Amino acid sequence: MRAVRAWLIRLATTLRPGRRERELTDELESHLQLHIDDCIRRGMSPEEARREARLRLGGLAQAQEDMRARSRLPALESIAADVRFGARLLRKSPGFSAVAILTLALGIGANVAIFSVIDAVLLAPLPYPDPDELVLVGEGDDPDRVTTTSYATWVDWRARSRSFQELALFRDWSPTLTGGDRAEQLSGARVSAGFFRAVGVTPALGRDFRPEEDAPDTRRVAILGHELWRRRFGADPAIVGRTIALNETTYTVIGVLPASFDPLMIEATLGPRSADVWSPVGYDAAQPWACRSCRHLHVLGRLRADASPATARAELETLTAAMWREHPTDYADAGVSVVPLARQLVGPVRAMLVVLLGAVGCVLLIACVNLANLLLARATNRRREVAVRVALGAGRGRVLRQLLVENCLLALLGAAAGLVPAALLPQVLAAFGPRIPRLAEARLDVPVLLFALGLALATGLLSGLAPALRLTRADLHDTLRDGARSSAGAAAGRMRGALVVAEVALSLTLLVGAGLMVRSLARLLDVPPGFDPRGVLTLNAAVVGPRYEDDAVVRRHFDEVAARVRALPGVEAAAVASQIPLGGNFDGYGVHPEGRLAANPAQDPSAQRFSVSPGYIAAMRIPLVRGRDLAATDDGGAPPVLLVSQTTAERVWPGEDPLGKRVKIGGTDGPWWTVVGVVGDVRHMRLDQPPAMAMYVPYAQFPNVDSQMILAVRTHGPPLELAAAVEGAVRSVDASQPVSRAVALEGFVARSVAGRRVSLAMLAAFAVVALLLCAIGIYGVTSYAVAQRTRELGIRLALGARPGQLLLAQLRQGLALALAGIAAGVAAALGLTRFLGSLLYGVSATDPATFAGVALLLAAVALAASYLPARRVTRVDPTQALRAE
Amino acid sequence: MSPNTEVWQGTLALMVLKTLETMGPMHGYGIARRIEQTSGNRLIVNYGTLYPALLKLEQEGHIASAWGESENRRRAKFYRLTRAGRRQIAREAADWETATAIVARFLSPRPQKEPS
Repeated sequence: MRAVRAWLIRLATTLRPGRRERELTDELESHLQLHIDDCIRRGMSPEEARREARLRLGGLAQAQEDMRARSRLPALESIAADVRFGARLLRKSPGFSAVAILTLALGIGANVAIFSVIDAVLLAPLPYPDPDELVLVGEGDDPDRVTTTSYATWVDWRARSRSFQELALFRDWSPTLTGGDRAEQLSGARVSAGFFRAVGVTPALGRDFRPEEDAPDTRRVAILGHELWRRRFGADPAIVGRTIALNETTYTVIGVLPASFDPLMIEATLGPRSADVWSPVGYDAAQPWACRSCRHLHVLGRLRADASPATARAELETLTAAMWREHPTDYADAGVSVVPLARQLVGPVRAMLVVLLGAVGCVLLIACVNLANLLLARATNRRREVAVRVALGAGRGRVLRQLLVENCLLALLGAAAGLVPAALLPQVLAAFGPRIPRLAEARLDVPVLLFALGLALATGLLSGLAPALRLTRADLHDTLRDGARSSAGAAAGRMRGALVVAEVALSLTLLVGAGLMVRSLARLLDVPPGFDPRGVLTLNAAVVGPRYEDDAVVRRHFDEVAARVRALPGVEAAAVASQIPLGGNFDGYGVHPEGRLAANPAQDPSAQRFSVSPGYIAAMRIPLVRGRDLAATDDGGAPPVLLVSQTTAERVWPGEDPLGKRVKIGGTDGPWWTVVGVVGDVRHMRLDQPPAMAMYVPYAQFPNVDSQMILAVRTHGPPLELAAAVEGAVRSVDASQPVSRAVALEGFVARSVAGRRVSLAMLAAFAVVALLLCAIGIYGVTSYAVAQRTRELGIRLALGARPGQLLLAQLRQGLALALAGIAAGVAAALGLTRFLGSLLYGVSATDPATFAGVALLLAAVALAASYLPARRVTRVDPTQALRAE
Repeated sequence: MSPNTEVWQGTLALMVLKTLETMGPMHGYGIARRIEQTSGNRLIVNYGTLYPALLKLEQEGHIASAWGESENRRRAKFYRLTRAGRRQIAREAADWETATAIVARFLSPRPQKEPS
């Protein structure tokens, strides 16, 4: 503490030395006077006394200097002087400063921007208490893939497991809120009573669910999300206890969640959406959908402090193995997945962010190399200045420090300029990019600013060290005697050559990465999705309420909806389906072929099941390969029929004719379904994943009708222009039922590659910046070399060399550097591109065409960048060149 | 000890504080002379290092200063001990005694009992 006090006083004196300075001198003079008086009293002559006093003080000037050093902070003072000196120099050469600051602003800005996103998305802990304890649990043999489980399995896990403080259920729920001016479809979730306790959140208003409310007849209670409460209920503080109508059923509001609660577990499992309304799952074991093989529930667990995901998984697998023995036909294996929530949430974007961080790191290194190059060029002009200062007694360390301070000043200015793009990036990503969880929290906060500061200082030191060391090592006598041109120039030239090689190598690595991603995207956009998204409008149409409990009513409703929409002008075809391609969800059902039923039906293959109205295949332009399409005559009275995809046909009946074959669907209890047609494969979930098995059943024949269907409308003109008319037609059937999300299907395709497009755009932008910096670097080195050699070139010309020869020699030099850089870059890229891994599609990480193309591009750029300055060789006037010095 | 030794590193501060404690407020020259006298003129204070040391003690708050008039009517800066300074004397004196006791053990080692 005392030391801090002393330091602060010294700091204050450093900043405002005035009065203290005089006092020090006064005190020393008073000391001398007292001493002299004393000596005279002891019998010395005044001269002797004065001499004695000065001698004992060790010289007035020295004593003053010692006191000044103690009264202030000399280290800080000299750094401040260095900063002032550096700032003066930067102002004196504005061109150099602007180029250097801009270069660094690009390099540092890109890094800070990416870091701020990584900090918010990957590094910051999830906004829950002890977030590391939260895991997602499900059945499945892949321990890293999040899956679902069934109610019966969850009940057993919860009763028998010792690894969890709480195991909570949750599932998708999209109720329709009525009672306002129009019906609104909400996104919500049904959860078990312990869910919010597991998360570690308590309602801001009201209370949490009670265990007894998590039952079939008591589950009519709801907790509202903060946003919905504000938007639909005017933030009414008396909302608790009031009732609201969800799906035309009365629910009592028992609580409101705090504004800070962000349901990330929903986004991590059910896709990019929020959850505004919560209600208990409310199952009991007697219900058919609570069955052991009804795996449609997600599980969120909070681990005990002494458990890890691995130990929890081992325990659950032991339990599940026992359950498998008790119910042999309900499980295919005893696999369990336990995935930390944080990993599941950011897993898909982690690869992209890490690759981008690598790319911006490369850009910064190139910027450093370029700056070092600029500094080396300038160093030659400053050799004299440094030599003079050393000759005047400045230590080498002192000069070195001054040069580095100057550089750090440049880098800090660059970093400050770079904060502008860094502040904008998260917004740009949010506007154009893929959905990145928690992106909204990316901002220029203290850790990010500290990162920027650290990066700036590191950049300043890194780029400045080599030139500064060279400068201070220069031979004093040589420099002072004959000015600039001496042997030191050759060493500097070699160093600059090495820098260019490094720069080319780094650029090549980046360009290869960007090139591979361009080719991936091109390949991906070439992939036939299996349907024709152009000109298709899609809408969500749901039916809710007691009137629609009868499946026949639901079917009649959707038949009527499709018919009325089809009758609209501008509509070519319209049909409904339970799920549409790239919509983000599907229902999987077991496929049990006749004559080949496995002993355990749970081990039969599973296929995506689409429940569709007649004409859906045609409306989506999914090609009919064999057999016939589903028809309106395939209704409840006719024998059940279905279409299968080509992949399904090949896997289930390899080498056989699938037409006329019979299967059971989703268990072996139901009727036999006859295959009447084979249709083309559709990439249903993602364009970059191979198509899965699929089957299409007429919704008129499928035992239970989905209460939410997607209406697919093929239009003659731009699809969205018909949106209002189509919505009106749907409402005209029953105005009380919600219609939502009218979107052009083509938008789904675009969205499914948006992530790639944005990471590609960013990587390409960084690669272009790198290429530009690289060209600038080569240009600088060549033009400097030409300037240095003017005299030599003049002599050669005078001796009869042809200008063309000299130009060629100069170009050869530039190209040699570029080729060395390309060779090094190819080696580096071969090692690094495999980290692109999942970001690539349909192209090898060592794709020869990309490598060759990029190498050629770089060679061409290098040639151009050295040709421009090298041309000056031909314009050298021998007489002038020889007279110049 | 040889005559006329320079003050050892690190002990000057303690001597200054102790002098101010015994003598009351004094100016720099007075403190230096007093230290020399107390040592029986066997110590020589380097006046050039005395003033930075005083400055350090003042910055740390162990002493405070004010301009005043000396006995022979010269203007001089007088230092006095603060409360923190008094506590510091106790601390440093204890440290010093421990240090000398340790050195003394090395100089006249007592036979140690063999461990049983």
